[in-house]
Amino acid sequence: MSVETRSRAPELRDVHASSKLGPYLADLWTRRSYIWYVATNELRQRQITSVLGNLWHLLNPALTIGVYYVIFGLVLKTTRGVENFFLFLTVGLFVFQFTQKATIDGAKSIVTNKGLIKAVQFPRALLPISSTVTELLAMAPNFVVLYAVALLSGVTPSVRWLSMIPIIGIQFVFSLGTAMIAARMTTHFIDTIQILPFIFRLILYGSGVIFNVDSYVESGGIAELIFKLNPIYCFITLARWSVMGGEFPATLMVIAIGWSVAMLVGGFLWFRAAEERYARD
Amino acid sequence: MVSCGSEPLRNGTRVTESSKTFVPEAAGPLRRDLLSIVARDVDVRYTVYEEPHVSARKAVSRGFKSRRTIEVHAVKNVSFDVHVGEAVGILGSNGSGKSTLLRSIAGLQSLSNGSIKVRGEVGLLGVGAALKPSLSGYRNVILGGLALGMSREQIEDQLDEIVEFSGLSDAMARPMSTYSSGMRARLAFSISTLRVPDVLLVDEALAVGDKEFRARSLERLGEIRAKAGTILMVTHNLSEIRESCRRAIWLDQGTIRMDGLVEDVIAAYESPTGHRPA
Repeated sequence: MSVETRSRAPELRDVHASSKLGPYLADLWTRRSYIWYVATNELRQRQITSVLGNLWHLLNPALTIGVYYVIFGLVLKTTRGVENFFLFLTVGLFVFQFTQKATIDGAKSIVTNKGLIKAVQFPRALLPISSTVTELLAMAPNFVVLYAVALLSGVTPSVRWLSMIPIIGIQFVFSLGTAMIAARMTTHFIDTIQILPFIFRLILYGSGVIFNVDSYVESGGIAELIFKLNPIYCFITLARWSVMGGEFPATLMVIAIGWSVAMLVGGFLWFRAAEERYARD
Repeated sequence: MVSCGSEPLRNGTRVTESSKTFVPEAAGPLRRDLLSIVARDVDVRYTVYEEPHVSARKAVSRGFKSRRTIEVHAVKNVSFDVHVGEAVGILGSNGSGKSTLLRSIAGLQSLSNGSIKVRGEVGLLGVGAALKPSLSGYRNVILGGLALGMSREQIEDQLDEIVEFSGLSDAMARPMSTYSSGMRARLAFSISTLRVPDVLLVDEALAVGDKEFRARSLERLGEIRAKAGTILMVTHNLSEIRESCRRAIWLDQGTIRMDGLVEDVIAAYESPTGHRPA
């Protein structure tokens, strides 16, 4: 580098004028390799101290559905109206967990990166985006387990399985939004991180993860409407259709897309409105 | 009063009442015709809570509104100009608003009044904490560089230089949590100098580290200045300011007490009527 490179003089600009949306997004785009680097490092880091190492990426989801199956399938018998309950549960749980983990990680993303925020100027939305992408990658082994369960339980592979990619894509967009909202909420109220797991426990029961909503809720009633408007329920039902077949839930698809777009746009704008606050103590 | 902040600057040499702009001769590529930083009527107030993060239990028991807050008026109506190529030292006692001013220029602290305009990219170099304590020094360098918007290749190109400069060759593979505070400061300094900004703000970055590292850092700052154009540095170490800067600004309780040649300002600062006894 030489002094000549500085001879082009940039304009004077107000450092406190809120940057326009275009340049902000462009700044995010130039830093996209950061997202990938953080995600891959984080995943490596997670299992580095255990004896079985990377095997835990598969063992963890397998054991989780095992535990849920024993409790809900065998002990409490919430299997009413479901043919392949084990697979039904697996899909529901993994889809639910994606948004759950992405949101909780997003909540921590600003607080745990204070060092970086104070040292380097960059668009802060990079942090909740990175944590959500990390969770997306962390989902990959879950899906290996999921399709193994599907094959072992006698489901024949279908081209329909490919529809899982756009379905998770829609859910990813939704989770980006919830992660950004949670990230800003935590900077206002640090206890958000403590409260979120309970909110998600409530959502777990309200999204038909462990029971078939149709068998418990009367058709056409207000309860059914509430379930249908619940975005997590939409994602789960769409994913179940993708793996297990049946009638395509077109209405739920529309609701899911609507939720995702609204959540991303709303979450991003709300997060960015407080951009300056994230560098504070 | 003329407000330069809202008007286009036709030639940057204009001096207003509010800014006693002083342009010393500099060895570097000083551009008297080009302003690098224009600060006008800068006012910074912020509220601090009694506790940085109030827990739910305490918030409830005390009532959400009645949390005890203290307003700090850290910077009061400060205006000044800095030309491209200048190196300016900012001195003052603890709590005089030096660091707050620097953070405002970097865009990290919002203003309650006034404006700050800067030509080009700003970089704040501070006593950086570990970016990610669980990751190795090597990975922290890459992380910092990527967040700065550099490409992986650009970072790799400078990696050898950084290892040599920070003197951490053996420790680079170890998690940063195992570093001593001196090692951490050395690496943080190296990371923040990865990319040379147009305006470099240095906040007590050299306070940590041994004598040898400090000497090397000063040398590095010289190189950076040659590339960067403008440097503003905050330090308690007057000899550092004397060595690196020709101009100094003395902040006293958030206001500019003096702005001029570094020898004059330091002399006044150290005089019996100043803050620091000789």
